[in-house]
Order: sequence, then C-alpha cells, then structure tokens
Amino acid sequence: MDFLDEQYIENVPTPGAGNVVSSAGLKPPVARSGHSSGSAQLSRSSSFQWGLGNNVSSQPTTSVNMDQTICQISATPTSLTPVVTPSVTPAVTPDVVTSSPSIYRAVLLESRMNDAAENEAQANSRVLDKDDALMESMSQSIYSNVDSGRRIFPFVSVDIPTVFINKKPLTTEDLDLRCWDKNFFILTSAGKPIYSMHGKDEQIISFMGILHTVVNYFQLENSTDIRMIESGEQKFIFLDRSPIILVAYSTRGETSNELISQLDFLHSYLLSSLSQRQVSRIFDKRENFDLRNFLESTDFENLDEICSLISEKFYPDVLLGSLQCLTLNRSYRSQLHECMLQNLMRESDLPRGTLLYGLIVAPNSKLCSVLRPRGHTLHTTDLHLLFCLIFHQFQNLNENQELWVPICFPKFNSNGFLYCYIKFLSSPNYKISSKSRPVLVLISAQKDAFYQLKLLGDKLTSSITSNGLLDKIFQAQPVRIGDIQAPLVHHFLYKSKKHVQYVMPQLQFADRESDSVQAEEYEKKLMTYYQQIHNSVFSDGGIPFNKSIINFFNWESSLGPFEEPNNIGLIQGEKTQMLGLAWITPGFELYLISNNGVNDKRILLKSAKKIISWCRKNEGKIFVNEGATF
Amino acid sequence: MFQFKLVLLGDSSVGKSSIVHRFVKDSFDDFRESTIGAAFLSQTIKIRDTSSDSTEDTVIKFEIWDTAGQERYKSLAPMYYRNANAALVVYDITQQDSLSKAQNWVNELKNKVGDEDLIICLLGNKLDLCDSSDNGDKRAVMTDEAKVYAEEQDLLFYEVSAKTGQGVKDVFQSIGEKLYQIKKEEMLSKKGRQAASAKDSVNVKLQRPSTNDPTSCCY
Ligand SMILES: Nc1nc2c(ncn2[C@@H]2O[C@H](COP(=O)(O)OP(=O)(O)OP(=O)(O)O)[C@@H](O)[C@H]2O)c(=O)[nH]1
Ligand SMILES: [Mg+2]
Repeated sequence: MDFLDEQYIENVPTPGAGNVVSSAGLKPPVARSGHSSGSAQLSRSSSFQWGLGNNVSSQPTTSVNMDQTICQISATPTSLTPVVTPSVTPAVTPDVVTSSPSIYRAVLLESRMNDAAENEAQANSRVLDKDDALMESMSQSIYSNVDSGRRIFPFVSVDIPTVFINKKPLTTEDLDLRCWDKNFFILTSAGKPIYSMHGKDEQIISFMGILHTVVNYFQLENSTDIRMIESGEQKFIFLDRSPIILVAYSTRGETSNELISQLDFLHSYLLSSLSQRQVSRIFDKRENFDLRNFLESTDFENLDEICSLISEKFYPDVLLGSLQCLTLNRSYRSQLHECMLQNLMRESDLPRGTLLYGLIVAPNSKLCSVLRPRGHTLHTTDLHLLFCLIFHQFQNLNENQELWVPICFPKFNSNGFLYCYIKFLSSPNYKISSKSRPVLVLISAQKDAFYQLKLLGDKLTSSITSNGLLDKIFQAQPVRIGDIQAPLVHHFLYKSKKHVQYVMPQLQFADRESDSVQAEEYEKKLMTYYQQIHNSVFSDGGIPFNKSIINFFNWESSLGPFEEPNNIGLIQGEKTQMLGLAWITPGFELYLISNNGVNDKRILLKSAKKIISWCRKNEGKIFVNEGATF
Repeated sequence: MFQFKLVLLGDSSVGKSSIVHRFVKDSFDDFRESTIGAAFLSQTIKIRDTSSDSTEDTVIKFEIWDTAGQERYKSLAPMYYRNANAALVVYDITQQDSLSKAQNWVNELKNKVGDEDLIICLLGNKLDLCDSSDNGDKRAVMTDEAKVYAEEQDLLFYEVSAKTGQGVKDVFQSIGEKLYQIKKEEMLSKKGRQAASAKDSVNVKLQRPSTNDPTSCCY
C-alpha cells in the first residue's frame, strides 16, 4: 500500500520480564561521578529529572515541578468519567508530581476508533469526517478536564530555556569513561572491541572486557540474553546480534526501546558496509577475529557521524521511526513522478528489472520523490542509512561527478549488495554548493548497470531541468511555524503513520551557520524536550500506553540565574513554564512544545488541532504518498 | 570528438581523487573523503595534431573512473578497467608499500587486459612533500627505483603533486596524445582496409577493373 515499511525492532525488552536486571541484582560497572548509588533518592528522578536530579539536592533554591496530565479519551465524550488516580503509567513515577498532582483519566473505548493506517491513500471525505469527529471528541473531553490556567508569568518567550544539564566534559584529557552521559559500545561475541563512541583505547578494552563478562554470565546462568541493566538513572541496554554485540549506556532517560532503535541503527550501518553474509563468513572462519582490521577509516567516521547524529543533534527520525519529506506543491510532485515514470518507460534499452528504485532526495535528508516497482517497499532504516551516506560522506562532490556505490540495505536484504548510481543535481539558475543540492539515486541489483542507469539519469535530469521541475525543487521552502495559525506553539513534530513520514517546522537555527555552538545546544535541547514528551506516552518497550492518547507535559522552574556546581552545565537565568503535548491516534502522532511562559492548555490544544488539520489538508504537499510505481 | 576511458587505481589515500580533482577542477582539498565505490567524471582536453598541417585542435574527451583504494572494493575493479583505454596506477612517493600495491595492480592489468589495448601509466604522487634540499624530505620511494621498474614493464612514468598541480596536466595531456595517435593509426589502417575491401566489392559487383586511382584513398 505504502512505499515505506513500518520500522520494526526485534528483541524489544519487556520491562518486568526475567531479562531485565534491576540495580539490586547487579551493580553496573560504571557509576556516575558525584552520584550516590542509593535508589531511595533516585526514585524521584523521572524522565525529566535525570537532568536535574543532582541539582535539586545540591541547589535547594531551585524547584522544578513536573505536571503530568494524562487523558485517555474515548470516541464518545459522553462516556467520560474522570478518575483521579495517582498511579498513571509506568513512565511516570508518582512522586515526581511534587505539588498538586493533576491527573485525569477517562474511560477508554478505543475499538471504535478509526484506524487510519488501513485507509487507502486517498482518504475520502467520509473518512476525514470520521477522523475529525475523533479528534473533536478527544479534544472536547480534554477541554473539560484541563484548567485554562492562570497566566503566572507575564512573559511569553520564543527562546526555549535550557532546563537540562548538558553534561559535557570540559577537557578531553585523561577522561574517565563515566564523564560521558551517553556512550555506545560495539564488540564481538568473543569480546573483541569494535567501536566506542567515547573513550580511549585502553579504557575501552578493559571496559569491553567487563561488558563481555556480563553478557556471558547471563547467557550461562539464565540461558537468556541480557537486555537491560538499570540503576537509578543509569541504564545499559544490550543488543545481541551475534557475532556482534552492541551496548548503549545513558543517563538521559531514554526508553529502552529508543536505545534499542539507536543500537539497531548502528548495527544496520555495519551491515550496510559489510553485509550479514560477509560478517558471518568472517566469524565462521575465526570466532576471535578482530573486526577493526576489516573496517576502514570511513566506517569509523560514519559510525562517529551516526552516533553524534542520534545523541547530539536534532534527529527525530530514529525516535519516530520515520523520515521527512521535501515540502513541495502537490501538482509539482505528481508531475515529477509522472516524468520519472515516462523516462523509465521510454528507456527501451533498459531491461526490465535493472532499475529497482529511483529516488530524488533534497538536502537535509528530505525525500522528494520515489520511483519503485509496484508492491515493493523501502524500509525507513535503509533510507536513513542511504541519506546519512549521501549527506555526510559524499557532500564534497564535483557537480559533474557521478558515483557508483555498492551498499547493503540490511532491511531489504542483509546478505546482498545493491548498487547505487548517485548524482548531485545542479541547476544553471541556482549556484550553490553540493551540500545543499538535491540528489538523484538510481538503485540496481546488478553491479554492471552503471552505464544503463547513467543514461536514464541523464535523460531524467535533462527533462526535469527543461520542464522547470528541478527549479521547483530548488525553490521549495520548508514549513515554518508561522505558516500555521497555531498560537503559542514553539515547534512540533507530526507523524503520519500511514506514510511513515513526519513533518516539522524549520528549526530556529537552521539558516544560521555562524553560531554553530548555540545551534548545537538548541538542537540537543529540543530533542530532549521531545524525548520526554514522547516517553510520557510510550512504554519502556516502545508501545503506546493507549491507541489514542492526549497528554500534557509541564516543565516548570521558578528560579533566576545560577550556576551549576562543578561548572558542568549552566541553567539559564530564565523562568521556565513550558508545556508539551503528545497526541496519538491510530492515524497520526503529534508532539509539540509551547513557547516559554505558556500554561494555558486550552489554547495549546486549540493550536494542536489547527496543526493537525493543517497537516491533513496539506498531506499531498508535505508527504510523498505512493510515489511513481511501475 | 574522440572519447577515451581512463581508470585510476592504487592504494587508499595515495591521492587518486586529488589528482582527478586537480585535473578536472584545478583545485585541491586537504581533507578529501576517502572514495566509496567509484566516482565517474569526464573532462575534455585539446590536442594539437603535429603530423597534419591543420592548425585546428582536436578535442578529446576523457571518461574517468576514480576508484576506491580500500581493500573492500578491490573485487569491483575489473568492472572499471575492463574497457579502459588507459590506466593510471598511482602510488604515494612518501609510502614505500604503496609502490608494491601499485605493482600488484600493474600485474593484474597485464594478466587480465591485453597489453596492446591498454596504456598503463605509473604515477608517483605527493611530490610536494619531497624536496631534497630540505631536511624535511619525506621521500620513501626513489625516482630511479620506480623509473627502472616502469621501463622494464614498458609503462609511462611520472612524478606529480596533486597539491601543487605540478605535472598533473602533463600526464593527462601526454596520455591523450598517445591515445589519439593510436586511434589515428587504427583508423588509418581500418580505412585502408575498408577502402581496399570497398574496391574489391566494387570489382566483384560491377565487374569493373580496378582504377588504381590514388585519390580514392583520401584521408
Ligand atoms: N601533500 C600532499 N597531499 C596530498 C596530495 N594528494 C593527495 N593528498 C592528500 O592525501 C589524502 C588522500 O587523498 P585522496 O585523493 O583522497 O586519496 P585517494 O587515493 O583517492 O584515496 P581513496 O579514495 O581512499 O582510494 C588527502 O588528505 C589529500 O589531501 C599531494 O599531492 N600532496
Ligand atoms: Mg579517492
């Protein structure tokens, strides 16, 4: 139906199952500095307070409240029965809600909900009505439950405050592994190190030894694989993809599922470069093989790039398991698809089956159009990997340079390579660096198909150049928050489950390359806000608490400027009163964060509705639907 | 316009992409990413035909395959050199073992591709790092060592620097001239043969005696 597969992850750990180890059972080898390992105090920490946990005790002058309003709504507002209950969901530790817990619960009748995922691409108006009715009923029931809120703060600011401590070592000399609040480790099943995001070789080798021992111990003792070790806010997640083991360490409060997705992404990268067949062949021959001998410098660069992308940058793709598209006028997109199809059909010398997929990808990894055989889909992880390669590895290209690159698409077929013809497109009307140019990708399973695909690529390029469509791609403008009449909203993520794609307004710093440090901080901060909103509606195992949920998330701090002890991070001297909203239905997921100084949930909810209807109305513009099929 | 296929081979980071970049764009980048797979580029040059009296330049177009030196992609190399007219086998003057890697490539080419079809050029790169008057000289491969080897194997040989551009243009120019020369001879002999066979067929078909007219062979 749709050309993207839903991202799936195997080995999802189930909390409470035998394979989860709590801190009582095993002391993790790394203890965060300055952190007492007692769990009594730590039980206060939540997905929010991992950033402030230390701080709250040492700085009694700051007070941070988290207010969770979970409303699970039925399709019929009349059946709503608010129940005040302190135990909401596993994601919310009750004592986090320090003052005035405002938790509402509604009786749930989800069977009547419209499962948009099953709808055909062109949703007819009846379906839309049904969707709207659901939305309306959800929001109506919320209205009756939320305070309209007194405006406590006389300010509303579009500057989003940093309420999370940025734990970053100040020097890079003599660092202990535990200085990092997040780290990734990759080792072989025999315990040989392959890669780590941070840390020096000597440290890594002994630490990987410990990880290896832990993994083995559990395999022997319990004859099950270990998946998680948790102690307070520290978490280790294991992903056993024998002969490769991947481990994530984090104190940032991600769900296990998110960390597993990240590890899966790293593993997929290794496969994209080596293929499962090659990995198996190597380790069948010698279990003790040091895979680093087989990896090239580019592999380590790419792993670094991916690690930094998923842990330091604003990259919701892995969290949402979906990708972004270029915002393009609906009719231009269909002309583009028509044009791709015509060129393919005209190419009589191209034997059927030579071309597997054709893609046009705009800068910032935004999918623009897809040419694909009917019935064949592309997996989002495979596309994420391809886009990473294109925009990080190849960005320095000559405009008249074309590439022929073997890549294994692990979710498509982890045992074989596909061959990608890659060309950066240029328009005589737009003189810009290759970094910000769209890219044409033609994929084949045949390694000697280059000249055939080049011919197709050349013809396609010249036709979209002459009919002006290429310029339309160059001219395409990203969505801006001001495009939608949604007051008080700072930023949002809207994912259409049917398309497996998401849309978001352009980041505030996207155009300003000058202040990269500030931009980096902003991106990381924004990502953290979203992670926390997301985690408030998803279980640790990655399953939404309900098929349809609206959930508010409140960040609040009342203090002026102060500096963190140890000078680790800086809390900005600004009052924080921010709202987040997660809204999930079978058809979409919406996450939004308000401007600072907003506590009016009604207005925010209205804005959310505006965003949703805007996204619905502009579906053809912001998402790639079917693509061109042949 | 004549068109020739050219392939660059050699160990990773000897400077293949930098050489191509210097030739095509006349620029150099200190931080060039290692090539993944292979890159295809084209560039034209002009050649003055010294043998003819015409003052007009001949344009020839190079289609260049800049391959990846990483071991992993080695098995794909035949695809790129199979139909090549010329191969530039590059080594790094400051890395002794890159020469032996280059020699392996030369052997592979000689085994897999007929000698007469392929011009092989041995190319020592990073000449800018070698200055005998300076004690910072990083040279690890002596010019004579490579030169003797190239003569034995009947290869063209140059030392260049992609960074300064020294010698790079000349390499492509002389390969272009050589390929053009070969092509011209080939065409002459073909034309000769064609002309001869054309005459034969005329004879056969029209039953006419040969004219023996020298002007019928016009080039
Ligand atoms: N000093 C100096 N450095 C050079 C020269 N040519 C290339 N380099 C540097 O050597 C490094 C490798 O150059 P590349 O052109 O990427 O090498 P390559 O042979 O294409 O490598 P692969 O793509 O991995 O096969 C780069 O950092 C270049 O800047 C040169 O003539 N002089
Ligand atoms: Mg290269």
